[in-house]
Amino acid sequence: MNLQFMLFILINGLSQGMVLFIIASGLSLVFGVLRVINFAHGSLYMIGAFMAFSLSSLFAGKTLFAFLMLMLLVPPGVAILGLGLEVSLFRRIYRKEHLLQLLLTYSLVLILDGLTRLIWGGQIRNVPRPEVLAGSLDLFGLYFPSYNLFLLIVGPLLAAGLWVLLYRSRAGNYIRAAVTYPEMLGALGVNVPRVMTWTFMLGCFLAGLGGVFMSALANIDLSIGMERIIECFAVVVIGGLGSVGGAMLGSLIIGVGVAFIQIYFSRMALVFPYVIMALVLIIRPWGLFGKPER
Amino acid sequence: MPSALQSYESTRKSWLIAGTVIAVLTLLPFVLNQLGRTGEYWLWVATEMVIMSLFSLSLNLILGFGGMVSFGHAAFFGVGAYTVALLMKKAGVGFLPAMVAAPLASALVAGIIGWFCVRRVGLYFSILTLAFGQLLFMITLQLYAFTGGDDGIHGIPRPELLTPLSYYLLCLALVAGSFWLMRLLTKSPFGLTIRMTRENPERAKFLGINVKRYQLINFIIAGGFAGLAGGLFAELNRFAQTEYLHWSKSAEPIFASLVGGMYSLIGPAIGSTVLIFLKIIIQQIHQGLVEIWAIILGVILLGMVLFAPEGIVGVYEKIRTQRRRPQ
Repeated sequence: MNLQFMLFILINGLSQGMVLFIIASGLSLVFGVLRVINFAHGSLYMIGAFMAFSLSSLFAGKTLFAFLMLMLLVPPGVAILGLGLEVSLFRRIYRKEHLLQLLLTYSLVLILDGLTRLIWGGQIRNVPRPEVLAGSLDLFGLYFPSYNLFLLIVGPLLAAGLWVLLYRSRAGNYIRAAVTYPEMLGALGVNVPRVMTWTFMLGCFLAGLGGVFMSALANIDLSIGMERIIECFAVVVIGGLGSVGGAMLGSLIIGVGVAFIQIYFSRMALVFPYVIMALVLIIRPWGLFGKPER
Repeated sequence: MPSALQSYESTRKSWLIAGTVIAVLTLLPFVLNQLGRTGEYWLWVATEMVIMSLFSLSLNLILGFGGMVSFGHAAFFGVGAYTVALLMKKAGVGFLPAMVAAPLASALVAGIIGWFCVRRVGLYFSILTLAFGQLLFMITLQLYAFTGGDDGIHGIPRPELLTPLSYYLLCLALVAGSFWLMRLLTKSPFGLTIRMTRENPERAKFLGINVKRYQLINFIIAGGFAGLAGGLFAELNRFAQTEYLHWSKSAEPIFASLVGGMYSLIGPAIGSTVLIFLKIIIQQIHQGLVEIWAIILGVILLGMVLFAPEGIVGVYEKIRTQRRRPQ
């Protein structure tokens, strides 16, 4: 067990965690404001990843420019898809009982996963990393894969950006107000349905962005949607629904945990998120950073 | 919401309908037997429909009557299936003891899983059931030596006594018996208490009812029936595979209950039968359509959630009560 090896695992886990954070923060945001747990969030992430794959062949993949294009085009694409979903479907179920909301988003998973299979087929795909990020960096005699380092920088940047958005901007104030007291917000003259729509689109944007990053990090296939949504649940359960900091912590725990367990107990690695989730749900269901249920 | 009171006349009508349905279902295999190859196929389909009805009915005890969404119900179905598979194929146990063991094993597993899950309510309960369901799925997948992992267990012996026809009748009898038991259960004080915990758990607690305990018992009973269904299914197809525990299998009874009507007892059975029927029709129409079965199912479900959450039975009830109103 040399240092290089451990470092590699750690970096791998952290970068997986960062991607997970991006996706999970979207889910957390959507739940905080819309009060709907969107099962289809994982499917949207998967669609983002496959869209990135398709676009990458269009831009002849390896250059930085191509990758930037992916980052710029795919997340808004997914956000627009989300807009369509929100306006046509989600809006109708805000007032319905939780059971029906769950079933609706569940049926969306079927439809979206099925469409993904139809459009892109069942093969494993991936997106080539831009040349600049494809190698590894030699620091202090140890090798750090560049793409993973890139994610380790982008992740916290994004988290910081989200924090600024939520806590230092007018839009963020509206979002947080919609979480706390939507009726009052409406009484103050803010178009609350529009806030909800924009929040949902932001969540989908984040899911799409996560998809882009994942497509270059590892192989993607049709199972990643469901895998990720389960991990997202674990993240928001650990971190608490509606908390960005909690989502970050939860994502890193899951990311690093899975990476290390894979080495020692490879068969049990997939089980880790479920076990953690079950444990947290049983001991402290509102997560480490959340508040006890209203 | 379900109509709790029924006039005497409609109760008698219900018995008549029930009797007719049972009679038709009992005579069906004899008719099918005359039809050669297609008859055999449809007999197998009919047996599958009967067994899956039981699976959906068992989930609805938790879903419709208990008001709790469980995404991991297939775990109990799978436990029942693997119990029968392992006992009959690897341990050489007879059919009868294996069929008794299946619901018992799944009830035990339901007890363990349920104990954890009922500690939380609503969304958190659902996520927990999903987590445990997938956990069990992965454990089954990993225990290659024991369960055959991805390959599953093939070649479960079929006792000579059980021809396709007699097996169908056996399943029909068991499922009808289970249905009757469930009916007794839901009409009993226990059943009414469960319904109360769905409607107003706070009030139930104030009345001194240990809501968690009732929910757990309900969960165990539902798990037991699911295990019986799983066992029967394994014997029907003579193999058990890990897919039986996957979350997508858990989705089937949820859809069946929604489509058929989760607020009635018979709803899930109707829903399950309709969905299987639809799937076969689509298969016959165009092989290619099978690939988009998931999409079709999702669209149907979507439509039902938005426009008819009470399901087929609910819509039927609505039409029936509307026609009764005087002009």
